[in-house]
Amino acid sequence: MADDQGKGPGGSDPYDATQYHEVVKGDTLWKIAERYYGDGSLYTNIFEANQDILKDPNKIKIGQKLRIP
Amino acid sequence: MKRNIVKVAIALLVGIVMLAACSSDKGPAELAIKAAEEAVNASKAEAAKYVPEELKSLEGALAAVKDNFAKKEYKAAIADAQALAGKAKDLLGAANAKKEELTKSWTDLSEGLPKMVGAIQSRVDILSKSKKLPANLTAEKFTEVKSGLAAAQEEWGKAMESFKAGNIAEAVSAANSVKGKAVSAMETLGMPVPAGAKS
Repeated sequence: MADDQGKGPGGSDPYDATQYHEVVKGDTLWKIAERYYGDGSLYTNIFEANQDILKDPNKIKIGQKLRIP
Repeated sequence: MKRNIVKVAIALLVGIVMLAACSSDKGPAELAIKAAEEAVNASKAEAAKYVPEELKSLEGALAAVKDNFAKKEYKAAIADAQALAGKAKDLLGAANAKKEELTKSWTDLSEGLPKMVGAIQSRVDILSKSKKLPANLTAEKFTEVKSGLAAAQEEWGKAMESFKAGNIAEAVSAANSVKGKAVSAMETLGMPVPAGAKS
């Protein structure tokens, strides 16, 4: 798992407070939610924040940069 | 006897000449002090808001000039009053520069802080639904973040009120305090602190 501290697609704003997570092998939205929220069942928050790049919560790709709300 | 009369006459004459010379400087000294006072008054409103310490020093210098005048040291009073008028102009320039600097700070902070506070609020809302908090975040720390966030939001409201009232220095000071609270909350929550908030 790798988090990218605020350097996402729109990283030129000095006050951009968005947190990103770069998907690595073995990641699932559930695991990512567990890491950031302590509770995997909250993965829907990540899915909803990334609807522009995710169509299915079960299908995430290595290298994708997901917003962590 | 005659010599003594001559000596007294000369002394009197010298005294009269000196007195006349002194008196001739009184009018110009009054004018110079008036001009200096007007210059200080013209810069007072802005200087009091943005460079209060420098204004205090200038007012002290003006009082010293008036003291010289009261002691009939007119030449010194003229020279100091003339210098003071120039300093008052410089003070107004410094106040305007400080105002510009603070306005820029406010613009940056007022654009950036709502994003930070919004991101923290979003994370707090999600974590409040969590059955188990993430590693490195205890319930106690989370409670601290929530109360810090509430305080930051209240302070941000005050900062905006200050700015609307024209108190830019006060607004920037309050905004910087909000920034400090937001940075602390983000660090506790394991969120990235934006580059603009690190300075």
